[in-house]
Amino acid sequence: MIKVEGVTKKYPARLAVDDVSFEVANGEIVGFLGPNGAGKTTTMRMLTGYLPMNSGRIEVAGYDVATHPQEVRRRIGYLPESCPLYPEMRVDEYLRFRAELKGVRASARKAKINEVKEQCGLTEVGKRIIGQLSKGYRQRVGLADSLVHDPDLLILDEPTVGLDPYQIRQVRELIKSLADKHTILLCTHILPEVEAICERILIINEGRIVAADTEENLHKRLHACTVIEMEILAELKAATAAIAGMGGVEVRTARDLDGGWVWLELEADSSAMREELFNLAVTEGWALRELSEQEHSLEETFVQITQNQGAAQ
Amino acid sequence: MSVFLSLFKKELQTCFLSPIAFVVIFFFWVLTGLNFWWLLVQLADGESLTMAQQQIFGGLIGFSLLVIVPLITMRLFAEERKLGTLESLLTTPLTAIELVAAKFAGSLVFYAVLWLPVVAYTAMLQRFSPSATFLFPDLGAMRAGFLGIMLVGGLYISIGLFMSSLTSNQIVAAISGFAVLSIQFFVLLFMAYTAPNPDVRTVGQYFSSYAHLLDFSRGIVDGRTVVLYLSYTAWFLFAAVKVVESKRT
Repeated sequence: MIKVEGVTKKYPARLAVDDVSFEVANGEIVGFLGPNGAGKTTTMRMLTGYLPMNSGRIEVAGYDVATHPQEVRRRIGYLPESCPLYPEMRVDEYLRFRAELKGVRASARKAKINEVKEQCGLTEVGKRIIGQLSKGYRQRVGLADSLVHDPDLLILDEPTVGLDPYQIRQVRELIKSLADKHTILLCTHILPEVEAICERILIINEGRIVAADTEENLHKRLHACTVIEMEILAELKAATAAIAGMGGVEVRTARDLDGGWVWLELEADSSAMREELFNLAVTEGWALRELSEQEHSLEETFVQITQNQGAAQ
Repeated sequence: MSVFLSLFKKELQTCFLSPIAFVVIFFFWVLTGLNFWWLLVQLADGESLTMAQQQIFGGLIGFSLLVIVPLITMRLFAEERKLGTLESLLTTPLTAIELVAAKFAGSLVFYAVLWLPVVAYTAMLQRFSPSATFLFPDLGAMRAGFLGIMLVGGLYISIGLFMSSLTSNQIVAAISGFAVLSIQFFVLLFMAYTAPNPDVRTVGQYFSSYAHLLDFSRGIVDGRTVVLYLSYTAWFLFAAVKVVESKRT
């Protein structure tokens, strides 16, 4: 659906996007991550043909953005970061105007507008003036606008920014429900959002793509070993010695807790070591109240990836 | 074409719904009223009909265009840039040409509405003309006069639109539009009427829109002037298209 090859964008004072290449397949939901100012919005704008690039090539749905911008725009539903709307228009009016601009056929227009209004929960506010709507509703109007011409590709630039937690959840559910019919590129720096929605993640930092993989693989790449936490009722020294003697597990930290309990953080080769640790506890006669594998948060991975690159430069 | 029409419709709507539109309409209509009253005073004093005829589109009204037009055009692109809606417009399949054309056409219609009272005044004057065979003001001259104000207005609107395309600040758009319009207006006016050198005066008369307005309202339609206005208008609209296409941040 999207094919980006060696794209570079220079602003007068700085290099915003530096030789970026990536691909997004049909039907994928891809999260596009990066710190503020990393070049996310610039990349989105080049994808939609709004900003010209200095070098490189972008193809959307088989059309070159530089030579066939009209064809590309027909197939993209784009929600810009600030969700720009006309405050003086009514919701219905605005959606009709946008549908006309995007070439939705007159016969299908009304039905299509009603459909996206329903999808985005706007049925009741159709007659309201956009300027008087809450931020959450305005965001949904923007989203409805990006859907109204049934685009193959949805590009959403921070769709949940400024929403309350309840609205965030609603918008997320909505995006998820759109996934079976559209390819989605979701640009954000809110990581739980990506964890919740996306199948694949692109991370951009200082104008370069620094990672492009599934969340799981990203974790794997960064964390070669499994970290296991364990709490047992035992004597600390004996326990660490016994565990170290097993092989395949190393004790990272060990600490005494109240009531004779010991808390251990272990580095293991694989998560299968948990069973062996359980067996060990049984044979040693330790009471066991926790034996869990530490989950890696995307946040941790993200920080590590973007900082590693900063350090390398 | 349908894209142009929906843009045009939206433009008219925004134009007539904005509070500034009513301020502009109010002041301009007060001005045309004053102008009409002044015309009647002059006619009562026995002013020659040719001079009076010029009064209909010239005088105060001619000068007021310098302020009125930038007030109409200031929001055209500056507001879209400020709101960020230029981005959402230009990421739909429309072209910059359609966008500029629709904004120009919308403003031109609004501008034409401003002149409606003058039609009413003309009808009134004719109704009270001393004889049925001699009507004042002359209908042919009135048609030429309307053509003139639309040509001049079209050029001024295209200049204001171009100025608005350069900035995201409506005040800057209005003031720079006003500055460009008044500089050309007054420089050419002084060249045309007060320059000591006759060659400079001739050149001034070729280009001065005030001189043209007087000509048109006397019923003189010079093909060269028409071409001059149409080509300048087209040039500024073209420049605005290029700005919209290239200035994206």
